[in-house]
Order: sequence, then C-alpha cells, then structure tokens
Amino acid sequence: MRRALVIFALVALAACAGVLGLRKSGPQAFPHRAHVLKGVACTDCHRQVEHDDGKALHVPDDASCITAGCHAKPHDTRPCLTCHAAPEALAQLAEARDHLAFDHGKHLTQTKGNCMRCHSGVAEGDDHLRPAMATCFKCHDHDAQRDARRCDACHKNLEAGSEMPATHLAHDGDWLHEHGVRAASSADLCQTCHAEKFCASCHGVTAAALPATLHFADPFTPSVHRAGFAARHSLEAKSDPGACQQCHQPDRCATCHLAKNVAGSGRTSPHPPGWVGITAAESSHGREARRDPAACASCHGGAGEALCVTCHKVGGVGGNPHPPGFSSQLRMADMPCRMCHR
Amino acid sequence: MRTTTIALVVAIAGRTAADPLTLRADAFASTQAPAGLLMLETDGKVSPLVSAEAVVWTAANPLPGEHAGDVLVIALRARTADGTASTQLGRFVAVLGAIRPLQIDGAAGRVQLSHGFYTEAYAGVPVLAGLGTSRTWDWVVGARLARKLGDYGSLGIAVMEQRDNGQLSSEEVGADAGFALGKRDDLAARLAYDLVNPAIADAEVTARHAHDKTLRFDLYAGYRAASHLLPATSLFTVLGDIPAERGGARATWKAAPRLELSADAGVRRVDEDLAPTAIARARLALDDTHRSALTCELRRDGASDDAWTGASGAIRVALPYDLSASSQIELVIPDHDRTANGLYRGQVWPWALAALAWDQGPWHAAAAVEAASSPETRKRIDALLSLGRTWSGP
Repeated sequence: MRRALVIFALVALAACAGVLGLRKSGPQAFPHRAHVLKGVACTDCHRQVEHDDGKALHVPDDASCITAGCHAKPHDTRPCLTCHAAPEALAQLAEARDHLAFDHGKHLTQTKGNCMRCHSGVAEGDDHLRPAMATCFKCHDHDAQRDARRCDACHKNLEAGSEMPATHLAHDGDWLHEHGVRAASSADLCQTCHAEKFCASCHGVTAAALPATLHFADPFTPSVHRAGFAARHSLEAKSDPGACQQCHQPDRCATCHLAKNVAGSGRTSPHPPGWVGITAAESSHGREARRDPAACASCHGGAGEALCVTCHKVGGVGGNPHPPGFSSQLRMADMPCRMCHR
Repeated sequence: MRTTTIALVVAIAGRTAADPLTLRADAFASTQAPAGLLMLETDGKVSPLVSAEAVVWTAANPLPGEHAGDVLVIALRARTADGTASTQLGRFVAVLGAIRPLQIDGAAGRVQLSHGFYTEAYAGVPVLAGLGTSRTWDWVVGARLARKLGDYGSLGIAVMEQRDNGQLSSEEVGADAGFALGKRDDLAARLAYDLVNPAIADAEVTARHAHDKTLRFDLYAGYRAASHLLPATSLFTVLGDIPAERGGARATWKAAPRLELSADAGVRRVDEDLAPTAIARARLALDDTHRSALTCELRRDGASDDAWTGASGAIRVALPYDLSASSQIELVIPDHDRTANGLYRGQVWPWALAALAWDQGPWHAAAAVEAASSPETRKRIDALLSLGRTWSGP
C-alpha cells in the first residue's frame, strides 16, 4: 500500500512537473554554462560591453551566433533568442538597466575581463545570472552610504521600479501585517524605494478610495480589504478591536453607514436586547464599550457622548465608569473630564 | 494648503529639462457611489538632492458626508549630498518608530549624529479630511532618537504629543528595535505607551527564521488596547479597556519554482473569548514570468459570535495584445446567521469579480463586474471601470 502511494505520488509529481516549474517547457534559459565550458568568451557574444553607456542591453543578436562561425547553419529561421532565452530574462535585464547605474566597462578593467567574478551564477546554472547585491559588497564598501540611505549611487528611480528586494528585506510571508513592526526601526530605509503616496494610500486620512478598489483587476495586489471585505468587515472589526483605527478615523464607520443607509434614524438599533439595564448585571453595554471603545466612539463620539453622561456623571445612576486604579494626566477642566466632573 | 499646492506644482513644472518628471492621471468609475473619481499624481526631481511629489483627487457624486476632492500627498524633500541630513515639507504620512503613522501638514527632518546615533522629528497640523477644514490650535510634534548597532540592528525611542483645539489629545512614548541575528534570523519589536491615560497602547513583536531560500518560519505576537488609539478628548478613553491579544506561527514554503504554500495558525484573545485562527494558502504561477497565476485560500477567523469560515480563489491570465483577464471568488460562512440584535444576515456570503485589463505602455485600462451577497444586501451587481495614462519626462 505504502509503495503504491509512493509510486502514485511520484507519477503525479512527474505529471505536474511542467506546471510546477520543475521541468521547463517552452523557451529555455540561454545555455551560458555550456558556452563557457566550450571556451567561448563572454565578450565574443556580448560585444561592446566594454564601452557601456549604461543603457544598451548588450544582448547578442543572430549575427553574433551565425557570423562568428559557431552556428553557421541555424536549425530554424526564427531569431535564436525566441527559443534560447527565458521569457522573463529580457524584461529583467531591461529593468536592471532602467534602475541600476552600472558601467560594465569599468568593471571589466578591475576584473581583468573575468565576468565570472560577478556573474558567478553561470557556474551553477543558467537561471540566476544577475549578481546579488551581496556580490557587489565583496569589493565595494558601502557602509557609509547605506547608513545615510544613499542608495542612489547605484540604484536609479527606485520608486518606479517593480522589482522587490530578494536577498535583503524580502517582502515575503505576511508582509502586509508585518510591515508596521519592521518599518518602525527603519522607516527611512522604506523611503529609499517607496514614495510618499505608497504610505498615504492606506494611512492617509484623505485617501480617495481603498487600494483594493482601485486595483480591482489585479487580484494579487496586497490589501487588507481584498475580495468580499465589504461583507465580512463587521466580523473582522469586532474580532480585532482597534484594527480599523490603525488607518481610519474613529468616525469613519458612522460616516459610511449613514451614507449607505445601514444605520441612523429610522433604522433598527444595532444594539442587542439587554444593552442598557437597570443594574450592572442586566446591562451589557459597559463591557462591550471596554472591549471595543472605538466602535462606540464611531457613532457616539463628540456630541454623542452627551448620551453617556446622562447616566454616567457624578451622582448619576450610571455610576463610576472608570476602572479600579484609573489615572489620567488630564485636568478636570479638560475634555472629557469636565463632562461629568463639574 | 492651496497655496502650498500651487507653489509645489510651479516648482515641479519649473525643473530643468533633464530631470525626470512623471505625471499620471487615473479615472475610476463605479456604479456603486462614489460614481466617479479622478486622481492626478506627479513626481519629479528638481535636482539629485531635491524631489517633489503630489497626489490630488476629485470625486463626482460622493457619498453624503464624504468630500468631493482632497490632497493626498504634496511633499517636497531635500537632503544633503552626503545624506547626513534630510527634510520634508508639505502633506505626508509622518512615521516615527513605534508611534502610529499620522498624516500631517508640516515638516519633518532627520539628522545623522556621531557614533551611529541619529535623530528625526516632525511638527505640523494633523490632517482632517476635506480642504480648508483645519481647526485652530491643532498641532502635533514628535521626535525619535535611535542608534544603529552596526550591521546587526537598531534601537530607538520616540515621543509624540498631539493637541486638538489646543487640548491634549495624545501623548505617547514608544520604543522600537530591529535585529538581524545572523543571516537567517531576525527580530523586530515595537511598543507604544500612552502617557495621558498611562498604559500600553500597542505592542508587537515578530521573529523570522529563514531555513533556506525556500522555507521560512515566522512567530508573531501583538497587544492592542483600543481605547488608547482614540483621542484623549474622547469619553471612551476613560472607561479602561480590555486589550486584544494575538499570537501565532506561520510557515512559508516555496515547494516548487512556481508553487508557494503557506500556513498560519494562531490564537486571538479579546476579553474572555479565545479564538483560534488558521489560514492555508497556495499560489501557483502559470508561467515563468509569474504574470499568470492562481491562488486559493482557506481561512478560519473571528471570535465568539463573529467567527467565520471562508474560502477564496483568484486567477490572472496574461493574454495577447497586452491584455490580462482575472477572476476572483470568495465564500464566507459565518458561524451565526444572525446579528447580536437578532437581524438575519444570511448563511453564506458569496462574492465574485471578473475583470479584463489592458496595460500598454503608458496606458492602463480595466473593466470589471462585481457580484455579491452580503449581510446588508441580498443581491448586488456592480460595474467598475478605470482608465489611466502616464506621461514621463525626458
């Protein structure tokens, strides 16, 4: 039985190998390694790389393959890189050129023409040819620039780039919920890539619409308001008191509920039976208010607080609303103390 | 603010021709109010040391109580050539260590000191929605002192005071820390303490272990006292509160070049309610560029009467002619089909969206149909449309 299961799993894995990316289908990564092992120098194909203007991609054309005499009789009429290059490679190369200030010519002199000093991935395979940033630090000491958040010595226009860091500050896991604690000690580092609008689109009081609404055609845009949030938001808000106030003003709930006519005059009270009773045991609103005071403040904040102090005032029937050991730095003349302590 | 807006637009427009400038306009329309939204954003560098950014929007037919237009961001940033000092002016989100982010109209600055120390501070007026609605004697100031611990991390302490109409609204101190414990482990923590009604307002800690490039483990814990997030001028801050706590663990595994799996198990405690939470998620890229992908998720969440179970899925497929099609579906099953006051809200809340997007050079367009059944509406179908264009300078 166990053997049958193992065989079944292996067959299933083999059948799905293409889908999972274990077996490449379609265009393959360019076989750099094979060319290096045959003794082909990098600059034989990547010509003019020593005269780098910072813009040219230096991608070999068919002439490099054919006229050099290596592949004098091509087996197909289509351009070589149609099949012999990973489909994402060219886009990644263009992205790197757009957002990295780099001169191959200067580095060729330093490395005495040995491209492998940086592109060491060629020795391991053909998938990861772009050197990691750590490779740069083997020779370049950028501690001072890094401390001063001066990334622009090498990185250009990072705000517009689409590539996220892979080897440091990787935005993986549940980054959406974790970014706050991680940004607390390094907000300046975040600003090296993220423009102000990125933070303001969620944390801004004046945001026009939810990010998920604006990017409705991209299901993979991170957002706490993803999918059917409108239906489940009340459950999420009640289960995690204060979560909404991380970005929204306390009156946001009431503003929207009133506008959409799900609360307000003429509607059924949102409070359950037993909300306000004669004795504390018969009354549930006090405990609920302590669980999620922000929810109460949404509707009863500001002028609405007068409703509370009709009972909860000095000498009032509602008694003392403060917990044991309550202390405050406010003066009696300040709000909200003066509402009761006159 | 209007004067600042005009001044900044003139400053950006007056940049030298060689500096990069980006202008983007997005129009968004929905059959669900607000029916129309126009957003304009621009950013550019006046010089390598000075940059500016602005985002403004206007809405047609906004909801009652909502505003018809506003400024989201309008910021001018400058720094010294060696990066030891920087400043920012305008409207922006001020972030200061463990203190909650706050959108302000004002100024912020950062100065690098000796021995790894640096300090940052901000001062300004807290932003209120709607142009020209700021109150007199509203202000906020904050400062943070931090020290870098070589390549291993940093420690910081921060203080913030906010006044609304001249009265103390918030006074907090915060401490933050981030450590890289070797190449595979890191730790981050923050704690905010309310000085007006003394108590911990917010605390969070997270730790990560990257086993290798494909497997990662996270531990997280949080504590939040909601009453301390309200302005101290609110009556609801004097009740004493029952904090909400959460904790859990997460594993993320890149099982194959195109397949990523993650599982999250935790527990949340609010008052006497102890609620387990669980999420299982899988994402499969449908091509090597990851432009086409599908994801599915199972979730169990919520406490007590608000617990729910859900399943969702999404797919995006890249099509010829710079088109892409996407579809999302979600089913939420609440444990209780009635609200606390007995109102029936349905047994299942389905939601679905189908969209077609076109992204060709500077142009972006998308259209979608959204259908849902929710506690408020038995049946609802909406259409969404967006159109955007980006202009880039030389």
